[in-house]
Amino acid sequence: MKAAQVTMETGAHAAALAVKSARVDVVPGYPITPQTSIMEAVAEMVENGELHARFIPVEGEHSAMAAAVAASAAGARVFTATSANGLLYMHEVLHMASGGRLPVVMCNVNRGIFAPWTLWADHQDSMAQRDTGWIQYHCSSNQEVFNTILQAFRVAEQINIPVMVNFDGFTISHCLMPLTVPPQEEIDRFLPPHEPEWRLDPAHPSSFSNVTNAPEYAPFRQMLSDDIMAAIPLVKQAAQEYKDITGMWDGDTIDTYRLEDAEVVAFAVNSMAAELRLSVDILREQGIKAGLLRPRLYLPFPAEDIINALPQNAQVMVLDRNYNFGHPGGILAAELKSVLFGRRNDITVKNRVMGIGGIDLTRRFMADEIRAMMDD
Amino acid sequence: MLELRINGFGGQGSVTLAHLLAQAALENGEQGQALPFFGVERRGAPVRAAVRMSPTTIHAHSQCELPDYVVVMSEKLIEEAVSEGITATGTVIINAPHAVAVGKHPTWQVDAEAIAREAGLFSADGLFINIPLFGAVCRVLNIPQKVMEQTILNKWPGSNGELNLGAARRAYNTVTQVEDSGFNMKVGCW
Repeated sequence: MKAAQVTMETGAHAAALAVKSARVDVVPGYPITPQTSIMEAVAEMVENGELHARFIPVEGEHSAMAAAVAASAAGARVFTATSANGLLYMHEVLHMASGGRLPVVMCNVNRGIFAPWTLWADHQDSMAQRDTGWIQYHCSSNQEVFNTILQAFRVAEQINIPVMVNFDGFTISHCLMPLTVPPQEEIDRFLPPHEPEWRLDPAHPSSFSNVTNAPEYAPFRQMLSDDIMAAIPLVKQAAQEYKDITGMWDGDTIDTYRLEDAEVVAFAVNSMAAELRLSVDILREQGIKAGLLRPRLYLPFPAEDIINALPQNAQVMVLDRNYNFGHPGGILAAELKSVLFGRRNDITVKNRVMGIGGIDLTRRFMADEIRAMMDD
Repeated sequence: MLELRINGFGGQGSVTLAHLLAQAALENGEQGQALPFFGVERRGAPVRAAVRMSPTTIHAHSQCELPDYVVVMSEKLIEEAVSEGITATGTVIINAPHAVAVGKHPTWQVDAEAIAREAGLFSADGLFINIPLFGAVCRVLNIPQKVMEQTILNKWPGSNGELNLGAARRAYNTVTQVEDSGFNMKVGCW
């Protein structure tokens, strides 16, 4: 058997390599910083014959997702990528993908949203798509981006729900790190070819997503809601089987660090959660029993796994890189409080918003913030 | 974990220098990370890039606020680069035609511009000073010359690799540690 290859890749290129490894059929693409490097790399792979896929350059993100929906309905394995306002422009068609039960996989390279313009990371873009019926992962390393895209295709195609794989612009997308690419036969074993139960086929004409009356519409929506919740065991199974085959593990619905005996728990997603491991070490050296809980899956929100993982009487410090407008603080804190209410009354939740528009989040800064939050 | 920051001007090749150093770490059997800061780039504007090396997985994803090493690609940036943050005993590596020392920091100097010119490494903006600087930084970090050379050949197989190799090798062998020359951080002059 061939050995896995380790090369230095940016997060964006790691995503493109995962698209190639997943043997994607169709890639509609429209550029937006910082996602563009993914589409450039995929377009090059298609051009030089490394990836046997159809690359469709379109005139905007609304069309990119429309093309993704159409190709997916025709039975293709489809990938696209976007960022920030590109994701917002897709918003309407995101509902079409989830309501149409189409297993599209999309990378969203997190970037703060207009106005005013910013190029750098925060999580307002992806979290603003909470109610579109997409499954959402948030990744904290280049390797996790690669691994998660493969897991995302598997989950999406098992349950016919689109999956968004989020990671931070620049701090991951343009960060060069070692990447392990497993042999293709291992990936093929993990992710078999896409065989949809149904597809649009000109040889067998049928209608799709026609107008429905309430008695038909309501069950469709209920089914989508139920099936999104049913994704949790599939996400765990995908992570476990990916580990069994490749040896790599990023956590399943959640990822934890020094959590078991923790009295103070940092709670965050994406690259800041990787840096937070170092903040936890700093706090431990200062005599504070700190730990980390990182939801890898943001949607469906892994309520049971979080409830079971949090140590007794812990103070949870939620570090949000987004705003929950209309409420003080951020979105993750609100999500967490809603699942703990009535279930874990021993837990205290504290919350600060930080790192907006790419403000650098260093291990020392976040350790200081967490220490200060203990007195909030 | 070793942390290093590159301070330069847009167009001097700091991104490629950061990439080469991270690749050299992998070639040397360690983990490497290059995290350039991408701003609204303009040629000639101050730019920076973070580099990390570690025998174990690197989890940090911030810019290096307090690095062990600072690489200054132009003499004009010394004060700005050092005051941006460096550990108390951190080392400074400077591209300059003459010996420069920075307070109490161990300082190394290499004439990357002269080496690049002699090697014929002309870019659209002037000279590829990042190639000799790569050789010099590898020497200061005690990365074996063979590893440094292999990193270049991996990136540029063929005649470009040979050209770059000569310049990087020259810098590797001529970068020198500077005696304290009394650079005054407060006023930014000698």
